[in-house]
Amino acid sequence: MATAAGLMTKPWVRWVAIGVVVVLLIVAPLIFPAFVNQTLARIGVFAVAVLGLNVVMGYTGQVSLGQIFFVGVGAYVTAYGVNNDWNIALVFILAVLIPGIIGLGVALAAARLGGLAIAMVTIALPIVGVPLAKRLSELTGGSQGSSARFSAAPEWTGLYDDQWQLYIVIAIAGVVFLLTRNLVRGKYGRAFAIVKGNEAVASSMGISPYRYKVLAFTIASLIGGVSGFLYMVVVQYTSPETMSFGHSISLLAAMVIGGAGSIIGSLLGGAYYVLAPQLTNAVDSSLTAVLQGIILLVILFVLPGGLVSLPRLWRRRKREDRGMPAGGAGSAQAATATVSPTQPGASPLGTVSTPPESNPPTQSQEKRQDS
Amino acid sequence: MTLLELTGVTAFYGPVQVLEGVSLSVPDEGAVGILGANGAGKTTTLRAISGTVRAGGKIVFDGKDIRGMRPDKVAALGIAHVPEGRGTLSGLTVRENLMVGAYLRKDRKGVEADIEYCLDLFPNLKERIKSHGSALSGGEQQMLAVARGVMAKPRLLLLDEASLGLAPSTAKNVYQAIGRLRKESGIAMLVVEQNANLAFTLVDTATVLETGRNALTGTSAELKGMDEIRRAYLGG
Amino acid sequence: MGTFIQLVIDGLSAGSIYAALALAIVLVNQATGLINFAQGAMAVLAAYFAYSFIQWGVPLILAILLSILVSFFLGAFIERFLMRRFERGEPDTAIVVTVGLLTLITGLCGWIWSYNNLQFPSLFPVQNINILGAVVSVRSIGTTLVIVGIMFLLQLLFLGTKLGLSLRAVAINPQSAAFSGLPVGRLLMVGWGLAAGLGAIAGALIAPSLTLTPGMMDAALVYALAAIILGGMSSPIGVVIAAWMIGVLENLAAVYVPIIGFDLKIAVPFILIFVVLIVRPQGLFGRKEVVRV
Repeated sequence: MATAAGLMTKPWVRWVAIGVVVVLLIVAPLIFPAFVNQTLARIGVFAVAVLGLNVVMGYTGQVSLGQIFFVGVGAYVTAYGVNNDWNIALVFILAVLIPGIIGLGVALAAARLGGLAIAMVTIALPIVGVPLAKRLSELTGGSQGSSARFSAAPEWTGLYDDQWQLYIVIAIAGVVFLLTRNLVRGKYGRAFAIVKGNEAVASSMGISPYRYKVLAFTIASLIGGVSGFLYMVVVQYTSPETMSFGHSISLLAAMVIGGAGSIIGSLLGGAYYVLAPQLTNAVDSSLTAVLQGIILLVILFVLPGGLVSLPRLWRRRKREDRGMPAGGAGSAQAATATVSPTQPGASPLGTVSTPPESNPPTQSQEKRQDS
Repeated sequence: MTLLELTGVTAFYGPVQVLEGVSLSVPDEGAVGILGANGAGKTTTLRAISGTVRAGGKIVFDGKDIRGMRPDKVAALGIAHVPEGRGTLSGLTVRENLMVGAYLRKDRKGVEADIEYCLDLFPNLKERIKSHGSALSGGEQQMLAVARGVMAKPRLLLLDEASLGLAPSTAKNVYQAIGRLRKESGIAMLVVEQNANLAFTLVDTATVLETGRNALTGTSAELKGMDEIRRAYLGG
Repeated sequence: MGTFIQLVIDGLSAGSIYAALALAIVLVNQATGLINFAQGAMAVLAAYFAYSFIQWGVPLILAILLSILVSFFLGAFIERFLMRRFERGEPDTAIVVTVGLLTLITGLCGWIWSYNNLQFPSLFPVQNINILGAVVSVRSIGTTLVIVGIMFLLQLLFLGTKLGLSLRAVAINPQSAAFSGLPVGRLLMVGWGLAAGLGAIAGALIAPSLTLTPGMMDAALVYALAAIILGGMSSPIGVVIAAWMIGVLENLAAVYVPIIGFDLKIAVPFILIFVVLIVRPQGLFGRKEVVRV
């Protein structure tokens, strides 16, 4: 019986699917109305931001509350560079590198602490970032923010602005997604997963948790910078509000709801980040924060793998209905909240408890170590 | 009078089945051993009794069905589980550890008397009464774990691998003290032990487990000489 | 000199608030291994409860006491029905749950009481007294003393009572505790309740000067976390001292270091952390944790 998953493994089907997606990506902006394009572009911007967060949090297991800070820095660098008429390629490179350098610095210090310290330190980034942005008004435009128009469609393309911007987002985001996907599928991705699962085991295998945490965090901040650049392409304005603590939390929620540790989940997360406020505002604008909190909690309880894990859950339910036992890996996955990508062959580093006699006696098995 | 009766007990860690039907019984004031190689399911059997692992089958203590009961409720019925790995409360002093052991008791004088008794049973602990649990040696921690169990004034003591990680002489000391405890208090005991010889100094009967089920059962005298015991440990 | 003393005392007062919140977070962490990012929001909610009680004519002290009580039960409720599922799992997931809780509570406060700044009456007379030529507010001294008093009470609870011993035992090794008959679940609820109550006290003490808004304790949360990093999660005394240091230093920096000034004084704790942790990763007072595999 041919299932969707079974079909996907045939190479030619894969290529056709990719081809269809590429054609869609090229044609869609030309067909859709402006506001759809704009919305899609924004989704792309934040999908990249969520992707960055996923690298450090979903894949490597380090909670970061500062991703939006790097997005903000990338946006500010872009605005500054554009307003000073720098070469756009240079602006892009700086918009990516500068957040990356800051991220590297933060990680070098924070990753030493172990445990949940990265979470605790990254909370400072948006909280210190906002007054800092207001203070450095020479560079940032202070509380008023900074606008930069540079993404008008050039004459020779014959495109409307919104179409041009969407193409830019698709192109750049596409490249970032592909690069990241290769990264997490390769040996770095495996190292991240091991560090996430058990740092002591990672060390014993010669994988330095410190080094990989720093690497993951730096990559996340680099990707954040890209997102910031794209943000300026689409929104053309940034202010201290861009990197506020509230947005930081929303980004985290979006990642979890989309699906932690998943490439497609990042796309879904970006979509949630952009669309959810519009929906909750439509329901009742004063309840918007409450609704978002509730949605996040419900997802964590009911669908810890995020929206991206829905098909897997449905498939498992169907298998159980047909009387086949749910695979051990499946139930372990449901039990652990952050899940690895659904590609066949990837093994989840879930924690299935093992019978005690195969472990040497450990002291305080139940105690959770912090630092 | 049977104090504890296990019939066809099964147990699972998630989807993995570890016990496939274990049966045994412990008479009042009796001592029964559970022997077997690593991974045979000995510790899991104790965990099934104390409620720390999901179990099937029948577990009856003092006429009550206790299968599936929460660990603290099982303890309240009079079963003290001295866990594998000792479970020392490392941030607390020795005395505080003992006080925790006596949590369920209301008779303050009796508790003080029992603390004295435990310190007499395990003189090493007397010297270290003010030390933190983490500062004790392996043997001392084992003694502390047994003492913590004793402080609850249980009717049944579950001893899990009391000799694990201890030097032979230390292990012998611990077992001698436990033997003395048994004689003087009449507490029933279910003893999981890899070291069969050590177990036989304490228990009247024993059952040998192999991959989650009973392979042999008999009195200590019967089992001591058998070749099967050696086979069960060395895997043939 | 007068300014200096004033700043120090005000700093101690602010630091005491951070310390209370930090201790609440430490309490929850020691018991259940997770970091409750919603601790500040829970404190704000308690302050809003007190505010409502006051609006209904309840005298101030009683209102605050009631809000502490309500907080206690709310904390216990949250542990039992929200966090219990996540305590045995990955700590990171639990953190995200608390972040969700933070969003929910902040949103609820905004929805029920609006996002406007509300006036919260001060427990202490709004007076100043003279100490060594410095003009010091009674409120600052009072706040510091109250929190110090509470900390003594907590120490007494933990070291001198059976309940305190039980809470400590459950925090160290819940399984061993259960084997000795301790009702682990109920004790965890008490732990969360105590932490929430502690946060409620902090909220009521800081509300008069900050004015009550849903995001009132966001900054305090950051300071509290900084105090925990500096002081080491395993050392409550270290956390308190670190919190006082942070409170005093940020005040001094705001005035004496113009580059930092008032708007950037929130950066001070993190500069401190950066410096300290390069030298001593376990914090000023923490013990190096040895994890055996």
